[in-house]
Amino acid sequence: MFALKRNKSGSTKLAMAGLAALMVILSACGDNNAGNAANSTAGSTTAPSAEATAAPSQGEAKTVTDAMGHQVSIPVNPQRVLASYLEDHLVTLGVKPVAQWSVPNGIQEYLSPELKEVPTISYDLPLEAVTSFAPDLIIVDSESAVQNGLYDQYNKIAPTYVLGDAVNKDWRKALTTIGDLLGKSAEAAQAIKDYDQKAAEAKEKLASVAGGQSAAALWLVQKNFYLVDETRASGEVLYKDLGLASPNLVTEIPADQRATWNPISLEKLSELKADHIFLVNSDKSDSSEILNSATWKSIPAVKAGHVYELSSNSTWLYSGATADSKTIDDILKFLVKQ
Amino acid sequence: MSKPILSSYEKQRRTRNITVLSLLGFLIATVFVISMNTGFMRLSPLEVLQTIGGQGNHQQKLILFDFRLPRIVISLLVGAGFAVSGCILQSLSRNALAEPSTLGITAGAGFAVILFISFFPATTAAPIYVLPLLALLGAGLTAALIYILAFRREGLSQARLVLIGIAVAAGINAYQIVLALRLDPKNYQFVATWMAGKIWGGDWRFVLALLPWIVVLLPFAFYKARVLNVLNLGDQMSTGLGAPVERERLLLLAAAVALAGSCVAVSGGIGFVGLIAPQLARRLVGPRHQVLLPAAALTGGLLLLAADTIGRWIMQPAEVPAGVVVAVIGAPYFLYLLAKSRA
Repeated sequence: MFALKRNKSGSTKLAMAGLAALMVILSACGDNNAGNAANSTAGSTTAPSAEATAAPSQGEAKTVTDAMGHQVSIPVNPQRVLASYLEDHLVTLGVKPVAQWSVPNGIQEYLSPELKEVPTISYDLPLEAVTSFAPDLIIVDSESAVQNGLYDQYNKIAPTYVLGDAVNKDWRKALTTIGDLLGKSAEAAQAIKDYDQKAAEAKEKLASVAGGQSAAALWLVQKNFYLVDETRASGEVLYKDLGLASPNLVTEIPADQRATWNPISLEKLSELKADHIFLVNSDKSDSSEILNSATWKSIPAVKAGHVYELSSNSTWLYSGATADSKTIDDILKFLVKQ
Repeated sequence: MSKPILSSYEKQRRTRNITVLSLLGFLIATVFVISMNTGFMRLSPLEVLQTIGGQGNHQQKLILFDFRLPRIVISLLVGAGFAVSGCILQSLSRNALAEPSTLGITAGAGFAVILFISFFPATTAAPIYVLPLLALLGAGLTAALIYILAFRREGLSQARLVLIGIAVAAGINAYQIVLALRLDPKNYQFVATWMAGKIWGGDWRFVLALLPWIVVLLPFAFYKARVLNVLNLGDQMSTGLGAPVERERLLLLAAAVALAGSCVAVSGGIGFVGLIAPQLARRLVGPRHQVLLPAAALTGGLLLLAADTIGRWIMQPAEVPAGVVVAVIGAPYFLYLLAKSRA
């Protein structure tokens, strides 16, 4: 009847016992690993709890409303902030978070001078990992990061404020909001002012050297090229802040279909009419084949030698006052020196 | 089936069954303790005990009672639900390969969920309560479709049931992928981990959403154990024994579908538990459903709890979905079973 018949009891028992033993052994290893992981990444799993118990005594709370309409009661002067993937703003405001964003293959490299001693936390913010850092304020970038009841879980750990996609896609708004939350509104306003001034000066310099010229920012990763959107990340800096002209291909993509970085084929790139190309190269050694291809070399800017290579940990993929300021430095370095 | 006089063979079997069931219970308790100790935060067994005793600090209480415990309870419930659902389906179809996911019921439930996510952006706060109902609806519709397609004038054909189930599952999976590809990356990621079977509902509210179904349907299945014994003999035989075959079958099928649907809603597409747990249980206690169903429930709970626990530490700090762990452990074991049964 059944294809799999009942077997002799002996071997079954043995198998079950084996399985059970295996599980016990594996779990035991897991405990050790967990211990090591916590020690190496957090390094201070016990320390925060002590501080955390001290923190609330410091003070008053204020109630704010976040992007999802939550009424959040946050400390007036938060000491242990967790704002994953919003670290640019924290660095701008001179705040050290309790943990910084990371993925299995890296962190936001350009912030590493400021965040050197800050332990990492996985980008998906596992509940237990968040708890282990004992934050007193959690700022989440996007609504989608706290969907399906996750918000309530985070909110049990510490007051959780959702910045929201609408605010987050404009770094000035994000910085201002975070400044307000952390009681650093003045610093935020000053940072924006400083940035705007720096951008204005850079724009002036560029106007004399490369007035009316166009530039494209390309990202090469896993043998695919991506073209930056003209309003986001380094695209915003190039076109909006510094007034360089955007090349034909950027504007060809329908506005409602644009991501920050848009895939573009090498064939299509051969039609690129840009005076300068900034190339963020995440492929390094693997890229020689593609960068030596006839198609690539036929692009006018490449022929003219106007390709400037940037490493994958440069700021061009990010946005924020800190990132964009460094992006301006890169642009000036390549275009003004000539 | 009046109470038979216990022969020595019966007695022997009974002791054996009790041993097996209590052994399973003991294993669950063991894995439970291990699971309570497993996670990103290192808590010693002593700290766990102290916290359970009410002495832990805020952090420890949060981790144990709000993050780990609900997840453990959900793993046990979902495992038991899938196992019993699979067991019923295997007996109804008299096919060892039948289970919620091979029959397309899991896929149907998942499809309903993805449809919802793709039409209503994730920013709405509703899904936590809506998802289980949607999954149930999807599972029910799929099961109804399969049943209607497999129905012939002379009754339900078991072979057709499984074949049509597999075909429908393949179709739904294809649509699922098409839909998922159209989602934006963030929603896609949620759907992808959901389809891989990650116990994502680590929250007491999910326990509350699932518990009523399990509490009603498991005892119902146990109550119908004798009917399953009879149905298992085949249509002609069971009609001859006086069972209203079609009606009982429909009832049990509905119970299996509701179990699977409610489980899918909180756990995502965990296959294989529904396939393996009943198989394992059958080898341990034999084909009598009075013992087989509880044994399958315990085995399923144990398997999924173990899988979720392993998934939580094996790639720390990242988590491997329990469904993937079950498949990784389950596939070789299943191949081993197949190889053995040929010999």
